[in-house]
Amino acid sequence: MLKTLEHFAAQCNANSRLRQMNRDWTRRIAIVATDRAQSFWLTSQEGVITAGEGPAVEPDLQIQAPYDIIQAIFSGAMSPTEPYNAGDLLVKGSQDDLMRLDIITLLIWGE
Amino acid sequence: MASRHVLPLRTAVSTSAGLASAAINFLACVEVAEYAGGASAWIALLVAGGLIIFSASNFAELSGLYPSAAAIRVWTRKGLNDRLSLIISLVYAATVVFVIAADAFVLAQAFHAAVPIIPGWLWIVLLLGAIAGANLRGIRVSGKIQDINGAVLLMTLVVISLIILGKTPWPHGQPLFHVGPGIFQAVALGVFIYVGFEWVTPLAEEFDDARAISRGMYMALGLIAVAFGLFTVAISVIFPDIRALHATLIPQLIVGEKALGRWGFWWMVIITMTTAMTTFNGGLFTASRFVYALAREKTLPRGLSHLNKYWVPSYALLLLAGLSLALALGVMATGWYTVLINAGAGVEGLVYALSAWLVFSLRRREAQRPRPFRALGYPWAALIVGAVFLLLGVGALLTTTGGIPTALLFVMGLTAIVTGYVWYYVPRLKKAPRRNPVMSSEPEETTR
Repeated sequence: MLKTLEHFAAQCNANSRLRQMNRDWTRRIAIVATDRAQSFWLTSQEGVITAGEGPAVEPDLQIQAPYDIIQAIFSGAMSPTEPYNAGDLLVKGSQDDLMRLDIITLLIWGE
Repeated sequence: MASRHVLPLRTAVSTSAGLASAAINFLACVEVAEYAGGASAWIALLVAGGLIIFSASNFAELSGLYPSAAAIRVWTRKGLNDRLSLIISLVYAATVVFVIAADAFVLAQAFHAAVPIIPGWLWIVLLLGAIAGANLRGIRVSGKIQDINGAVLLMTLVVISLIILGKTPWPHGQPLFHVGPGIFQAVALGVFIYVGFEWVTPLAEEFDDARAISRGMYMALGLIAVAFGLFTVAISVIFPDIRALHATLIPQLIVGEKALGRWGFWWMVIITMTTAMTTFNGGLFTASRFVYALAREKTLPRGLSHLNKYWVPSYALLLLAGLSLALALGVMATGWYTVLINAGAGVEGLVYALSAWLVFSLRRREAQRPRPFRALGYPWAALIVGAVFLLLGVGALLTTTGGIPTALLFVMGLTAIVTGYVWYYVPRLKKAPRRNPVMSSEPEETTR
């Protein structure tokens, strides 16, 4: 999973449009695999995304889903909307942060 | 783990209260008082509020089980199936448009009475435009408007009602504790004063505390009961023969003027504007996110997932505002506003019955899933409340206009169109390849 998230972060950082879009977006995102009790995090600091393993401190956005769904979303195999509307992906945080994360996956992989 | 960007409880209260507090509620207050036989109408509103509390607890359980902006879409998908869920979700989203349009019509009547030289339709366009514009500026702006409007509306309604009660001598033959023969009709009508309170549930994921939605709904229902209950008593006191208000579409303005002269009239004009703004704002705010989620799921056309530079689903929002405007203008032209009110009330009643069914279904299907909140009095209360709202919903749809059940025909027509869309067009949308993302060319930092 960590490799998937690091690859996702690398793709974000390599995309000039995304870096420009996220230049003022500083957020901490907690990702929890509900079926394995594993936690990961992503941070956005002035457009630069980094990933790591372990619980996030004071996250702005929390994402909870089974491990396989998180893996599929951050590897581009699945759009986040499908598990979200099915109730398999739960989020806690502001809707504009959620929409930004959604659009990041959209910009990297399309729909 | 605590999230830093969360909404306060007051936003849950104001959103729930604001969405329920439509301008059409004033018409309902008059009818409730008429059926209840005057000042004792507060008893009918209290009983109706009790029923609604149990329904709110069903929504609270569902929202705690799956806190999601997709709300009813998720619950029905888990409790029923995908296609049925989509049909129900789309028809339910359409009721937001009905309520906004009906409220806009009542607002137009109020403003036309206040300033006869300016046509009502222009007020509709201006207010809908202003609210849509505020929403297009971002979620935080919308939340602030909702907080302010909700508070102003209910507080001023309580104040003006108390002033009326304080300065008007209690009329002879208006018992405060009396249950007349029309109490059941009064309770049935009273229920619809609270309708819309549950539209706060799509905001569930923005609150840190999973119980904020249930607390917000309960507090909002209490505030609505007090504010509109007092107003209904005030109407009965100042108009002992309530039938005098039966034919008017602006009873609140007449009551305000009779109690406090021109000052009271304008006060009620402002309150009417506030009720409509909370309905417009809250309705557009939540429904546009819902449409966005469906578009991202590829069940609505791709363009509706467009986000503007403030991360607002702008095309979805403009579509809803445009449909509301068109419907409101159509109602102004035809005068068929009761069709929209009955259609909205009917669909809401059926959705409340469905929420009770979903509580049963998900208790069985998702028995082990954590529930931060459990429905009150399960299973018997959920069963009874579900049956009551099923009857109320069907009753509202069967209400006739000129001998024809127009609301039923309207909702059946809409459901048929939506079913056809879901059955034949959605599979095509799902198959269609999509490559390019949809968004504004140069996004900016959000308003937060």
